[in-house]
Formats: sequence, structure tokens, C-alpha cells
Amino acid sequence: MNQALLALYNYAEFVPDKVDRWLNFAASPPLGEVAPDFPLWDLDGRETRLSALWSQQRLLVVEFGSFT
Amino acid sequence: MNAIAEQFASEGVGSIFLYTHEAHPGERYPHLTSMEQKLRHARALRDELGVSRPIYVDSLDGACHRAYGSNPNMSWIFDRRGVVHYKSDWTDARSIERAVEYFLEVFTRRRQGERLAPFHVERLDYRDHDRQAFFRGLERSGPKAVREFREALRIWGEE
Repeated sequence: MNQALLALYNYAEFVPDKVDRWLNFAASPPLGEVAPDFPLWDLDGRETRLSALWSQQRLLVVEFGSFT
Repeated sequence: MNAIAEQFASEGVGSIFLYTHEAHPGERYPHLTSMEQKLRHARALRDELGVSRPIYVDSLDGACHRAYGSNPNMSWIFDRRGVVHYKSDWTDARSIERAVEYFLEVFTRRRQGERLAPFHVERLDYRDHDRQAFFRGLERSGPKAVREFREALRIWGEE
């Protein structure tokens, strides 16, 4: 894994120089098109995919976030 | 958001929480350096903050989060083909509730024979803006998170 990317993404301090670069919602995937798919892990560490989750439902609501 | 998930579960609407990076790392919940730590923080979200929806964890480098714009508290709605129906740069339960109700109505109208075509709309929705509650949330991470956010507000001119 790219160690420089890991350190940038998982910044240790909430300072604008380190945070603002990640606010890229304006360039996010468009409405009306198939979204990109990625692997995800459940709380037991079992791997699945985002597509496996949305394909099980009529609609899937996904909230992104963290404890902090 | 848990209540919204329960409200629509019987109508084929799933809801998940996707764990990203620590937006406000602090003494109790510092920045992430391993998947084991990320899973531990995600379990705390369930156990301490009561998130009852299924929680899934992104890769340590945030591949999924980054591809979707990497804002800290976004919400998205997909259909079963993965088509994006709604995206919001902040999570607000009222906004989600109304969007889901609208899309369910679209399904019903189609079932009833209406011919419908999608179009794009942009609009501003409004969320609660309780800064004191936000700071109480930061305190869970630790004094460092509070201190850094106060300083960031000063730099952004929002103090």
C-alpha cells in the first residue's frame, strides 16, 4: 500500500492544509450513472463489496463517516 | 438515521454506515494506522454511539471514500443496479427520508403504468447547525480534536 497516501488520508491533525484537499464532493460520481464499486469489510473483518450490498435492496442508503 | 433505516426496511430499502477515516483525530480516537484499529473504532461507533445499521469499513487508504469525493459526512442512495439516485455532501435524516419517500413513489407510479424519465435537479437542503452539540461530539475524541477544530474555524474565518 502507498505509505505516503495512507499518511495523507489518515491525517493526524485536523488542520485546513491537511483536511481541505479531501473535500472533493464536486468531482464525485454523477447522478444517474452506475457508481464505482469497491471492497468493504464488515465488523468481523469479512470482505464484501459495495455492489453486493446495493444489489440486495431496492434502494441502499449509505452514510459515510467515522467516530470522530 | 437509525430510525429512517427502520422506517423503510420493510419496503426493501437498506441502510449502511461506511466507516472512513477519523475526521477529527484526538487522544481517544487517534488517526488510523491499521485495519485492526479501524475495525476497533468502527465497533466503538456501534457500541458507544449506538449506530444500529450494519457498519462496513473502507480500506485503510480510503479507496471507496476518496472515489466518492471524500467529504466527512456524506450520504448516497443507490438502486439495485448501483445507479446513483441521490448524493448529499452532508447527512440529514429529513433530507434522506424525503428522498426515499419520493423514490418509493416513483417505483409505485411505474408499477401502476406511468411512463417516467429521470431528470437532474439541484437544490439546497437545510440541516441542523448546533455548534455546541458539534463540540460535544468532538469531546468524545479528546481535547486535541476540540482544540484543532477551534483553530481551524479561526483560519477559515468562521470563529
